[in-house]
Amino acid sequence: MAELRLQGVRKTFGAAEIIKGVDIDIADGEFVVFVGPSGCGKSTLLRMVAGLEDISAGDLLIDGKRCNAMEPRERGIAMVFQSYALYPHLSVYDNMSFGLTLNRTPKAEIDARVRDAARILKLEPLLERRPAQLSGGQRQRVAIGRAIVRKPTVFLFDEPLSNLDAALRMDMRMEIARLHRQLGATMIYVTHDQVEAMTLADKIVVLDGGRVQQVGAPIDLYKKPANRFVAGFIGSPKMNFLDVRVTGVSGGVATVESPTVAPVPIGARGFSVGDRAVLGVRPQSLRREPGHGRDGTLRGTVSLVERLGAETIVSLDTASGERALAAIPQDEVFEAGSPVEFRFEPAAAHLFAA
Amino acid sequence: MRTSRLLIGAGKAVAVTALLFWSLFPIVFIVMSSLKPGQEIFAVPPVYVFTPTFEHYAALWSRWGVFFDGLLNSTIVTAGATALAVIASTCAGYIYSRGSGRFLNASVMFLIIVRLIPPIVVTLPLFPIVNAMGLNDTHIVLMVLYATFFVSLGTVLMRTFIDQIPRELDEAAEIDGAGRLTILRRVIVPLAAPGILAVAVFVVVFAWNEFLFAFIFTATRAKTAPLVISEMIGSIDGVDWGVLFAASTVQLAPVLLFVVLMNRYLVAGLTAGATKG
Repeated sequence: MAELRLQGVRKTFGAAEIIKGVDIDIADGEFVVFVGPSGCGKSTLLRMVAGLEDISAGDLLIDGKRCNAMEPRERGIAMVFQSYALYPHLSVYDNMSFGLTLNRTPKAEIDARVRDAARILKLEPLLERRPAQLSGGQRQRVAIGRAIVRKPTVFLFDEPLSNLDAALRMDMRMEIARLHRQLGATMIYVTHDQVEAMTLADKIVVLDGGRVQQVGAPIDLYKKPANRFVAGFIGSPKMNFLDVRVTGVSGGVATVESPTVAPVPIGARGFSVGDRAVLGVRPQSLRREPGHGRDGTLRGTVSLVERLGAETIVSLDTASGERALAAIPQDEVFEAGSPVEFRFEPAAAHLFAA
Repeated sequence: MRTSRLLIGAGKAVAVTALLFWSLFPIVFIVMSSLKPGQEIFAVPPVYVFTPTFEHYAALWSRWGVFFDGLLNSTIVTAGATALAVIASTCAGYIYSRGSGRFLNASVMFLIIVRLIPPIVVTLPLFPIVNAMGLNDTHIVLMVLYATFFVSLGTVLMRTFIDQIPRELDEAAEIDGAGRLTILRRVIVPLAAPGILAVAVFVVVFAWNEFLFAFIFTATRAKTAPLVISEMIGSIDGVDWGVLFAASTVQLAPVLLFVVLMNRYLVAGLTAGATKG
């Protein structure tokens, strides 16, 4: 059982501040994903939780106990590395039992735990092999097995799937989700892949520039992004951002327009008439057919069409020189160079400060 | 086209033969001379066909018992120096590989520069100190000296080897509950074994053959085999060349065998870091 709390956590390397004050609460048994672009500090933050990096300021509490100065082994954590970090000179069995041997766990118990983990991860036939004799996916399972046998209160995953090919990555993603259900342990998972974040997480922490941009359930982040960064980071293809001008404001609704976007009322506060703003519309919100309410419209010229069979991605250039994407959930023919008009529901659009 | 290839082939063959002759001739000469009857050793023209005799070895055994004491001393000193140098180089190499900081980086340069100073310059002033410490004519003084000369090279070599071991392995072991020493012993050493063997080969060859420091710092109790061989040359009742060659052969054999066995690791040691694994 482990709750984890980060309070005003900072990390500095010399003069450079990498983590600029992070507060996160993680409940027992929660699957939390740290996501962000490379260099956002997510791996550093994870390594600080692991005890591989010092915490420059702030507190790390595990089950209410301050852990800043504790050695990694005293924190009750286990970590799975991106590179797997298996000991090349040891067999799969010895890789998994290494930590237990070090803390003098009785032989019989080591054996029971290793065999149990091997059964869960389907590694039983491979126990005598060396890491070099395993495929990428098998190595990753051994790395996870090494974490499981320690019975940690918190699992840490540092981009565990990024060295695997696409098909295997999907399998392993499901396996990790299954493992979380099965073990019920607290897990912190770092990735730059927002699909992994969306599919695995109970709670996503979006990081950028060493700061938390937003914390929330995946679907909340998707539907109600706190800022333009989160809006652009979560969702694929990326949300369209269009420069607009505010032409009217009344009771929590701002009417915006641009040469490309016909006047449309968007629920948003804090704007006044004449402000410049950014309208965010997801490619999936754009459609050809008129809806029943007052739709927004977006005009442009088709520049590129990607027909994926079940979906068609249309790339269009707008009159104001912006590029926008529309994801149509069916196969449809568009002609490059032809003018096109898309509609969207105002409630599904977002307005951000410019 | 065909003739030029033939010429290149012939050229290569000649070069290899010359190289082999150059490196093997002294060894073959010594070993053969030790087996020739006394009067045939320096016969002109040289005798190539002869009945091998072990009389020189028998004479070596009966008259030069001190040579075998010397071999024992050499073995003790070589083993001690090698162990010392290997342990120190591995520990230092690990710190140089994993640590960082201005002092550490600058001191690598110093390690290399120290290697360039003629050892005798550093050693002679040591004589009174060694005397004062009562270490004169002991195994320990030679072990420490020999090890010292190889710690700098050994450290640089070990750092290169350990650099190739991913840092994540240290971190994984740290999370598994290993302390620094356990990481070194259970993870780094097994993976850096080829480097350790390469360092060991260097030290063994040096310590086994070294003459000058042994001459300065030992007298009787810790006298090494090369010293006894030199005494054979300076012997008052004239040089018995047959016995001398027999002693040289005995002195040569173990180190030759060791180098041939370790050849693979030696090459690995010399080319470490040349390409990224």
